[in-house]
Amino acid sequence: MAQYTLETDGQVCPFPLVEAGDAIAKLNFGDQLTINFDCTQATDALPRWAAENGYPVTHFDRVGDAQWTITVQKA
Amino acid sequence: MLLTGLGLGIALGFAMQRGRFCVTGAFRDLWITGSTRWLTAFLIVIAVQSVGVFALDTAGVITLDPQPFAWVATIIGAFIFGFAIVLAGGCATGTYYRAGEGLVGSWFALIFYALFSAISKTGALSTPVAALRGITLEASTIHGVLGVSPWALVAVLVTGVGLLARHHLRLRSPLPLVSLPARTSGIRHLLFEKKWGAFTTALIIAPLAILAWPLSWATGRESGLGITGPSSNIVNYLVRGDPQLIDWGVYLVIGILLGSFIAAKASGEFRVRLPDVTTTIRSIVGGVLMGVGASLAGGCTIGNGMVDTATFGLQGWVSLVFMIIGTGAATRLFITGSARVGVSPVRVPADR
Repeated sequence: MAQYTLETDGQVCPFPLVEAGDAIAKLNFGDQLTINFDCTQATDALPRWAAENGYPVTHFDRVGDAQWTITVQKA
Repeated sequence: MLLTGLGLGIALGFAMQRGRFCVTGAFRDLWITGSTRWLTAFLIVIAVQSVGVFALDTAGVITLDPQPFAWVATIIGAFIFGFAIVLAGGCATGTYYRAGEGLVGSWFALIFYALFSAISKTGALSTPVAALRGITLEASTIHGVLGVSPWALVAVLVTGVGLLARHHLRLRSPLPLVSLPARTSGIRHLLFEKKWGAFTTALIIAPLAILAWPLSWATGRESGLGITGPSSNIVNYLVRGDPQLIDWGVYLVIGILLGSFIAAKASGEFRVRLPDVTTTIRSIVGGVLMGVGASLAGGCTIGNGMVDTATFGLQGWVSLVFMIIGTGAATRLFITGSARVGVSPVRVPADR
Protein backbone atom coordinates (compact mmCIF):
# COMPACT_ATOMS: atom_id res chain seq x y z
CA MET A 1 0.00 0.00 0.00
CA ALA A 2 2.59 2.50 -1.08
CA GLN A 3 2.00 6.07 -2.12
CA TYR A 4 3.37 7.41 -5.43
CA THR A 5 3.34 10.84 -7.04
CA LEU A 6 3.47 11.73 -10.72
CA GLU A 7 4.23 15.35 -11.63
CA THR A 8 2.82 16.33 -15.01
CA ASP A 9 2.73 20.13 -14.67
CA GLY A 10 3.56 21.77 -17.97
CA GLN A 11 2.48 18.69 -19.91
CA VAL A 12 -0.42 19.36 -22.26
CA CYS A 13 -3.14 16.85 -22.87
CA PRO A 14 -3.17 13.97 -23.56
CA PHE A 15 0.24 13.47 -21.91
CA PRO A 16 -0.99 13.56 -18.28
CA LEU A 17 -3.47 10.81 -19.16
CA VAL A 18 -0.95 8.74 -21.15
CA GLU A 19 1.67 9.05 -18.40
CA ALA A 20 -0.86 8.22 -15.68
CA GLY A 21 -1.74 5.05 -17.58
CA ASP A 22 1.95 4.09 -17.89
CA ALA A 23 2.61 4.92 -14.25
CA ILE A 24 -0.24 2.94 -12.75
CA ALA A 25 0.77 -0.11 -14.78
CA LYS A 26 4.03 -0.21 -12.76
CA LEU A 27 2.31 -0.13 -9.35
CA ASN A 28 1.01 -2.96 -7.18
CA PHE A 29 -2.65 -3.45 -6.39
CA GLY A 30 -3.67 -1.25 -3.47
CA ASP A 31 -0.98 1.34 -4.18
CA GLN A 32 -2.10 4.95 -4.51
CA LEU A 33 -1.03 7.25 -7.31
CA THR A 34 -1.27 11.03 -6.99
CA ILE A 35 -1.20 12.86 -10.31
CA ASN A 36 -0.54 16.61 -10.23
CA PHE A 37 -1.54 18.35 -13.44
CA ASP A 38 -2.22 21.76 -14.96
CA CYS A 39 -3.92 20.81 -18.23
CA THR A 40 -7.55 21.94 -17.94
CA GLN A 41 -8.85 19.19 -20.18
CA ALA A 42 -7.50 16.55 -17.81
CA THR A 43 -10.09 17.63 -15.21
CA ASP A 44 -12.48 15.80 -17.55
CA ALA A 45 -10.19 13.07 -18.86
CA LEU A 46 -8.51 11.82 -15.64
CA PRO A 47 -11.63 11.22 -13.47
CA ARG A 48 -13.27 9.53 -16.44
CA TRP A 49 -10.20 7.34 -16.97
CA ALA A 50 -10.31 6.36 -13.28
CA ALA A 51 -14.04 5.59 -13.36
CA GLU A 52 -13.81 3.54 -16.55
CA ASN A 53 -10.87 1.52 -15.27
CA GLY A 54 -12.41 0.94 -11.87
CA TYR A 55 -9.75 2.86 -9.92
CA PRO A 56 -11.35 4.51 -6.85
CA VAL A 57 -10.55 8.22 -6.57
CA THR A 58 -9.52 8.99 -3.00
CA HIS A 59 -8.78 12.70 -3.54
CA PHE A 60 -9.53 15.24 -6.28
CA ASP A 61 -9.14 18.97 -5.76
CA ARG A 62 -7.78 22.27 -6.99
CA VAL A 63 -4.37 23.22 -5.67
CA GLY A 64 -4.26 26.74 -7.09
CA ASP A 65 -5.12 28.66 -10.25
CA ALA A 66 -5.18 26.11 -13.07
CA GLN A 67 -3.56 23.45 -10.90
CA TRP A 68 -5.16 20.26 -9.81
CA THR A 69 -4.38 17.02 -8.02
CA ILE A 70 -6.08 13.65 -8.22
CA THR A 71 -5.26 10.49 -6.26
CA VAL A 72 -6.41 7.11 -7.50
CA GLN A 73 -5.94 3.67 -6.05
CA LYS A 74 -4.89 0.77 -8.24
CA ALA A 75 -7.64 -1.81 -7.90
CA MET B 1 -23.27 44.81 -36.77
CA LEU B 2 -19.70 43.57 -36.69
CA LEU B 3 -19.97 43.59 -32.91
CA THR B 4 -22.38 40.62 -33.06
CA GLY B 5 -19.29 38.66 -34.11
CA LEU B 6 -17.53 39.71 -30.93
CA GLY B 7 -20.53 38.74 -28.78
CA LEU B 8 -20.94 35.38 -30.47
CA GLY B 9 -17.21 34.74 -30.23
CA ILE B 10 -17.24 35.49 -26.50
CA ALA B 11 -20.13 33.06 -25.97
CA LEU B 12 -18.35 30.42 -28.05
CA GLY B 13 -15.00 30.85 -26.31
CA PHE B 14 -16.74 30.73 -22.94
CA ALA B 15 -18.64 27.52 -23.80
CA MET B 16 -15.57 25.83 -25.27
CA GLN B 17 -13.39 26.62 -22.25
CA ARG B 18 -15.97 25.60 -19.66
CA GLY B 19 -17.02 22.52 -21.62
CA ARG B 20 -13.42 21.51 -22.41
CA PHE B 21 -14.59 21.19 -26.02
CA CYS B 22 -11.56 20.00 -27.94
CA VAL B 23 -11.84 18.70 -31.49
CA THR B 24 -8.22 17.56 -31.47
CA GLY B 25 -9.01 15.51 -28.36
CA ALA B 26 -12.08 14.07 -30.07
CA PHE B 27 -10.02 12.85 -33.04
CA ARG B 28 -7.06 11.78 -30.89
CA ASP B 29 -9.22 9.71 -28.53
CA LEU B 30 -10.19 7.50 -31.48
CA TRP B 31 -6.54 6.48 -31.82
CA ILE B 32 -5.49 6.44 -28.15
CA THR B 33 -8.45 4.96 -26.27
CA GLY B 34 -10.94 4.23 -29.06
CA SER B 35 -13.48 6.43 -27.28
CA THR B 36 -16.07 8.14 -29.50
CA ARG B 37 -17.64 10.26 -26.73
CA TRP B 38 -16.12 13.58 -27.84
CA LEU B 39 -16.48 12.71 -31.53
CA THR B 40 -20.18 12.16 -30.83
CA ALA B 41 -20.38 15.58 -29.19
CA PHE B 42 -18.74 17.05 -32.30
CA LEU B 43 -21.22 15.21 -34.56
CA ILE B 44 -24.11 16.56 -32.43
CA VAL B 45 -22.96 20.09 -33.29
CA ILE B 46 -22.87 19.17 -37.01
CA ALA B 47 -26.29 17.46 -36.94
CA VAL B 48 -28.10 20.20 -35.02
CA GLN B 49 -26.43 22.84 -37.16
CA SER B 50 -27.46 21.09 -40.39
CA VAL B 51 -31.11 21.37 -39.33
CA GLY B 52 -30.67 25.09 -38.65
CA VAL B 53 -28.65 25.86 -41.78
CA PHE B 54 -31.07 24.18 -44.18
CA ALA B 55 -34.02 25.78 -42.36
CA LEU B 56 -32.37 29.20 -42.86
CA ASP B 57 -31.64 28.32 -46.50
CA THR B 58 -35.21 27.14 -47.11
CA ALA B 59 -36.57 30.28 -45.43
CA GLY B 60 -34.37 32.41 -47.68
CA VAL B 61 -32.47 34.03 -44.82
CA ILE B 62 -29.23 32.72 -46.28
CA THR B 63 -28.47 31.21 -49.69
CA LEU B 64 -26.00 28.36 -49.72
CA ASP B 65 -23.72 28.61 -52.73
CA PRO B 66 -21.63 25.44 -53.02
CA GLN B 67 -18.26 25.76 -54.76
CA PRO B 68 -16.57 23.14 -56.98
CA PHE B 69 -14.75 20.56 -54.85
CA ALA B 70 -10.97 21.17 -54.77
CA TRP B 71 -10.34 17.53 -53.98
CA VAL B 72 -6.53 17.29 -54.23
CA ALA B 73 -5.87 20.33 -52.03
CA THR B 74 -8.57 19.26 -49.57
CA ILE B 75 -7.12 15.77 -49.10
CA ILE B 76 -3.52 16.96 -48.71
CA GLY B 77 -4.43 19.98 -46.60
CA ALA B 78 -6.75 18.08 -44.26
CA PHE B 79 -4.13 15.41 -43.62
CA ILE B 80 -1.50 18.07 -42.86
CA PHE B 81 -3.96 19.95 -40.61
CA GLY B 82 -4.95 16.77 -38.73
CA PHE B 83 -1.28 15.96 -38.20
CA ALA B 84 -0.51 19.53 -37.11
CA ILE B 85 -3.20 19.85 -34.44
CA VAL B 86 -1.64 17.00 -32.46
CA LEU B 87 1.69 18.85 -32.45
CA ALA B 88 0.05 22.17 -31.60
CA GLY B 89 -2.02 20.54 -28.84
CA GLY B 90 -5.29 21.91 -30.22
CA CYS B 91 -7.13 22.73 -33.42
CA ALA B 92 -7.84 26.27 -34.55
CA THR B 93 -10.50 27.07 -31.94
CA GLY B 94 -8.76 24.89 -29.38
CA THR B 95 -5.59 26.92 -29.85
CA TYR B 96 -7.54 30.18 -29.50
CA TYR B 97 -9.24 29.12 -26.28
CA ARG B 98 -6.12 27.61 -24.75
CA ALA B 99 -4.31 30.83 -25.55
CA GLY B 100 -7.06 32.53 -23.50
CA GLU B 101 -6.33 30.12 -20.62
CA GLY B 102 -2.75 31.37 -20.53
CA LEU B 103 -0.93 28.53 -22.27
CA VAL B 104 2.14 30.11 -23.81
CA GLY B 105 2.59 27.09 -26.10
CA SER B 106 -0.78 27.93 -27.62
CA TRP B 107 0.30 31.56 -28.04
CA PHE B 108 3.17 30.31 -30.21
CA ALA B 109 0.89 27.94 -32.13
CA LEU B 110 -1.65 30.73 -32.67
CA ILE B 111 0.90 33.25 -33.94
CA PHE B 112 2.45 30.79 -36.41
CA TYR B 113 -0.95 29.47 -37.48
CA ALA B 114 -2.21 32.99 -38.29
CA LEU B 115 1.08 33.94 -39.96
CA PHE B 116 1.22 30.86 -42.18
CA SER B 117 -2.48 31.16 -43.03
CA ALA B 118 -1.72 34.62 -44.39
CA ILE B 119 1.44 33.39 -46.16
CA SER B 120 -0.52 30.54 -47.77
CA LYS B 121 -3.62 32.55 -48.65
CA THR B 122 -2.21 35.86 -49.81
CA GLY B 123 1.58 35.67 -49.44
CA ALA B 124 4.61 33.77 -50.66
CA LEU B 125 2.86 30.38 -50.77
CA SER B 126 -0.36 31.62 -52.34
CA THR B 127 0.59 30.58 -55.90
CA PRO B 128 1.13 26.85 -55.22
CA VAL B 129 -1.87 26.80 -52.83
CA ALA B 130 -4.11 28.42 -55.46
CA ALA B 131 -2.78 26.04 -58.14
CA LEU B 132 -3.64 22.99 -56.03
CA ARG B 133 -7.03 24.43 -55.13
CA GLY B 134 -7.59 24.94 -58.86
CA ILE B 135 -7.84 21.18 -59.39
CA THR B 136 -11.57 20.67 -58.87
CA LEU B 137 -14.46 18.32 -59.46
CA GLU B 138 -17.75 19.69 -60.71
CA ALA B 139 -19.51 18.09 -57.75
CA SER B 140 -19.70 20.10 -54.55
CA THR B 141 -22.24 18.57 -52.17
CA ILE B 142 -23.26 15.05 -51.17
CA HIS B 143 -26.94 15.67 -51.87
CA GLY B 144 -25.97 17.13 -55.25
CA VAL B 145 -24.02 13.98 -56.15
CA LEU B 146 -26.80 11.69 -54.93
CA GLY B 147 -29.51 13.84 -56.47
CA VAL B 148 -31.58 13.91 -53.27
CA SER B 149 -33.01 16.65 -51.11
CA PRO B 150 -30.58 17.85 -48.43
CA TRP B 151 -33.37 17.20 -45.91
CA ALA B 152 -33.02 13.45 -46.58
CA LEU B 153 -29.38 13.72 -45.48
CA VAL B 154 -30.36 15.87 -42.50
CA ALA B 155 -32.77 13.11 -41.42
CA VAL B 156 -30.11 10.38 -41.83
CA LEU B 157 -27.48 12.40 -39.94
CA VAL B 158 -29.79 13.39 -37.08
CA THR B 159 -30.98 9.78 -36.66
CA GLY B 160 -27.47 8.35 -36.79
CA VAL B 161 -26.05 10.88 -34.34
CA GLY B 162 -29.07 10.44 -32.07
CA LEU B 163 -28.44 6.69 -31.88
CA LEU B 164 -24.75 7.24 -31.21
CA ALA B 165 -25.57 9.72 -28.43
CA ARG B 166 -28.05 7.28 -26.90
CA HIS B 167 -25.40 4.57 -26.93
CA HIS B 168 -23.03 6.83 -25.00
CA LEU B 169 -25.68 7.97 -22.52
CA ARG B 170 -26.42 4.32 -21.70
CA LEU B 171 -22.78 3.41 -21.06
CA ARG B 172 -22.03 2.81 -17.42
CA SER B 173 -18.50 2.77 -16.08
CA PRO B 174 -17.56 0.43 -13.23
CA LEU B 175 -17.25 3.38 -10.84
CA PRO B 176 -19.14 6.71 -10.68
CA LEU B 177 -17.47 9.81 -12.04
CA VAL B 178 -15.84 11.95 -9.34
CA SER B 179 -16.11 15.72 -9.61
CA LEU B 180 -14.26 18.56 -7.93
CA PRO B 181 -15.64 19.68 -4.56
CA ALA B 182 -18.13 22.55 -4.95
CA ARG B 183 -17.13 25.88 -3.44
CA THR B 184 -19.88 28.07 -4.82
CA SER B 185 -23.58 27.65 -5.50
CA GLY B 186 -26.35 28.90 -7.76
CA ILE B 187 -25.62 30.54 -11.09
CA ARG B 188 -21.96 31.07 -10.19
CA HIS B 189 -21.51 27.35 -9.59
CA LEU B 190 -23.32 26.54 -12.84
CA LEU B 191 -21.24 28.94 -14.95
CA PHE B 192 -17.81 28.77 -13.39
CA GLU B 193 -17.49 25.55 -11.45
CA LYS B 194 -19.86 22.76 -12.40
CA LYS B 195 -18.55 20.28 -14.92
CA TRP B 196 -20.37 20.70 -18.23
CA GLY B 197 -21.01 17.40 -19.97
CA ALA B 198 -19.67 16.81 -23.48
CA PHE B 199 -23.15 16.61 -24.98
CA THR B 200 -24.49 19.61 -23.02
CA THR B 201 -21.59 21.65 -24.34
CA ALA B 202 -22.35 20.45 -27.88
CA LEU B 203 -25.99 21.52 -27.47
CA ILE B 204 -24.83 24.98 -26.36
CA ILE B 205 -22.32 25.34 -29.21
CA ALA B 206 -24.73 24.15 -31.94
CA PRO B 207 -27.20 27.10 -31.71
CA LEU B 208 -24.23 29.50 -31.66
CA ALA B 209 -22.97 27.86 -34.87
CA ILE B 210 -26.42 28.28 -36.44
CA LEU B 211 -26.73 31.89 -35.25
CA ALA B 212 -23.34 32.66 -36.81
CA TRP B 213 -24.82 32.23 -40.31
CA PRO B 214 -27.44 35.04 -40.33
CA LEU B 215 -25.33 37.33 -38.13
CA SER B 216 -22.30 37.01 -40.38
CA TRP B 217 -24.49 37.20 -43.50
CA ALA B 218 -25.96 40.52 -42.34
CA THR B 219 -22.49 42.06 -42.47
CA GLY B 220 -21.78 40.79 -45.98
CA ARG B 221 -19.60 37.86 -44.92
CA GLU B 222 -21.59 35.02 -46.48
CA SER B 223 -20.65 31.99 -44.40
CA GLY B 224 -20.88 30.48 -40.93
CA LEU B 225 -18.21 30.06 -38.27
CA GLY B 226 -14.69 30.21 -39.61
CA ILE B 227 -11.28 30.61 -38.01
CA THR B 228 -8.53 30.41 -40.63
CA GLY B 229 -9.71 33.22 -42.93
CA PRO B 230 -10.13 35.70 -40.06
CA SER B 231 -6.75 34.71 -38.58
CA SER B 232 -5.13 35.43 -41.94
CA ASN B 233 -7.04 38.72 -42.14
CA ILE B 234 -5.67 39.82 -38.77
CA VAL B 235 -2.09 39.30 -39.97
CA ASN B 236 -2.81 41.11 -43.23
CA TYR B 237 -4.45 43.97 -41.35
CA LEU B 238 -1.56 44.29 -38.93
CA VAL B 239 0.93 44.40 -41.79
CA ARG B 240 -0.98 46.49 -44.32
CA GLY B 241 -3.27 48.50 -42.09
CA ASP B 242 -6.27 48.12 -44.41
CA PRO B 243 -9.38 48.42 -42.18
CA GLN B 244 -11.48 46.65 -44.85
CA LEU B 245 -9.88 43.41 -43.64
CA ILE B 246 -11.57 43.68 -40.25
CA ASP B 247 -14.72 41.67 -40.91
CA TRP B 248 -17.23 39.78 -38.79
CA GLY B 249 -14.87 36.78 -38.61
CA VAL B 250 -12.07 38.86 -37.11
CA TYR B 251 -14.41 40.00 -34.33
CA LEU B 252 -15.46 36.37 -33.88
CA VAL B 253 -11.96 35.00 -33.28
CA ILE B 254 -11.04 37.88 -30.98
CA GLY B 255 -14.26 37.12 -29.12
CA ILE B 256 -13.25 33.46 -28.71
CA LEU B 257 -9.98 34.56 -27.14
CA LEU B 258 -11.78 36.99 -24.81
CA GLY B 259 -14.57 34.56 -23.92
CA SER B 260 -12.21 31.79 -22.94
CA PHE B 261 -10.10 34.24 -20.93
CA ILE B 262 -13.21 35.43 -19.05
CA ALA B 263 -14.31 31.84 -18.40
CA ALA B 264 -10.85 30.71 -17.30
CA LYS B 265 -10.21 33.76 -15.12
CA ALA B 266 -13.60 33.60 -13.40
CA SER B 267 -13.23 29.90 -12.67
CA GLY B 268 -9.66 30.09 -11.38
CA GLU B 269 -8.31 28.30 -14.44
CA PHE B 270 -6.21 31.10 -15.90
CA ARG B 271 -2.49 30.98 -15.35
CA VAL B 272 0.38 31.84 -17.66
CA ARG B 273 1.90 28.42 -18.23
CA LEU B 274 5.29 28.06 -19.88
CA PRO B 275 5.88 25.00 -22.06
CA ASP B 276 9.12 23.01 -22.03
CA VAL B 277 11.47 23.06 -25.04
CA THR B 278 9.89 20.07 -26.80
CA THR B 279 6.36 21.44 -26.39
CA THR B 280 7.47 24.87 -27.62
CA ILE B 281 9.01 23.46 -30.80
CA ARG B 282 6.00 21.24 -31.41
CA SER B 283 3.64 24.18 -30.94
CA ILE B 284 5.52 26.28 -33.49
CA VAL B 285 5.81 23.49 -36.08
CA GLY B 286 2.17 22.58 -35.43
CA GLY B 287 1.07 26.19 -35.94
CA VAL B 288 2.99 26.47 -39.22
CA LEU B 289 1.51 23.24 -40.60
CA MET B 290 -1.98 24.22 -39.39
CA GLY B 291 -1.80 27.45 -41.38
CA VAL B 292 -0.61 25.72 -44.55
CA GLY B 293 -2.98 22.74 -44.13
CA ALA B 294 -6.10 24.79 -43.44
CA SER B 295 -5.40 27.10 -46.37
CA LEU B 296 -4.94 24.13 -48.72
CA ALA B 297 -8.02 22.33 -47.41
CA GLY B 298 -10.11 25.51 -47.49
CA GLY B 299 -10.88 25.31 -43.79
CA CYS B 300 -9.96 23.95 -40.38
CA THR B 301 -11.76 21.64 -37.96
CA ILE B 302 -14.43 24.33 -37.67
CA GLY B 303 -14.79 25.80 -41.18
CA ASN B 304 -14.57 22.42 -42.89
CA GLY B 305 -15.08 19.86 -40.14
CA MET B 306 -18.00 21.45 -38.32
CA VAL B 307 -19.58 23.96 -40.73
CA ASP B 308 -19.08 22.70 -44.30
CA THR B 309 -20.08 19.21 -43.09
CA ALA B 310 -23.38 20.67 -41.83
CA THR B 311 -24.10 21.86 -45.39
CA PHE B 312 -23.12 18.38 -46.65
CA GLY B 313 -20.23 19.77 -48.64
CA LEU B 314 -17.88 17.17 -50.08
CA GLN B 315 -14.98 19.37 -48.93
CA GLY B 316 -16.23 19.18 -45.33
CA TRP B 317 -16.71 15.43 -45.10
CA VAL B 318 -13.58 14.48 -47.08
CA SER B 319 -11.67 16.90 -44.86
CA LEU B 320 -13.11 15.36 -41.72
CA VAL B 321 -11.95 11.88 -42.76
CA PHE B 322 -8.44 13.00 -43.73
CA MET B 323 -8.05 15.21 -40.65
CA ILE B 324 -8.81 12.15 -38.50
CA ILE B 325 -6.26 10.08 -40.48
CA GLY B 326 -3.66 12.86 -40.07
CA THR B 327 -4.37 12.99 -36.35
CA GLY B 328 -3.88 9.22 -36.18
CA ALA B 329 -0.49 9.42 -37.92
CA ALA B 330 0.76 12.14 -35.55
CA THR B 331 -0.65 10.31 -32.52
CA ARG B 332 1.33 7.18 -33.46
CA LEU B 333 4.50 9.21 -33.99
CA PHE B 334 4.36 11.60 -31.07
CA ILE B 335 2.09 10.24 -28.37
CA THR B 336 1.59 6.52 -28.04
CA GLY B 337 4.90 4.93 -27.22
CA SER B 338 6.80 8.20 -26.99
CA ALA B 339 5.92 9.64 -23.62
CA ARG B 340 8.63 11.58 -21.77
CA VAL B 341 11.74 9.48 -21.39
CA GLY B 342 12.50 8.30 -17.89
CA VAL B 343 9.32 9.58 -16.29
CA SER B 344 8.09 7.38 -13.54
CA PRO B 345 6.02 7.97 -10.44
CA VAL B 346 8.01 8.95 -7.38
CA ARG B 347 7.44 6.90 -4.26
CA VAL B 348 6.47 8.93 -1.26
CA PRO B 349 7.92 7.77 2.10
CA ALA B 350 5.34 5.81 4.10
CA ASP B 351 5.47 8.03 7.19
CA ARG B 352 4.15 11.08 5.31
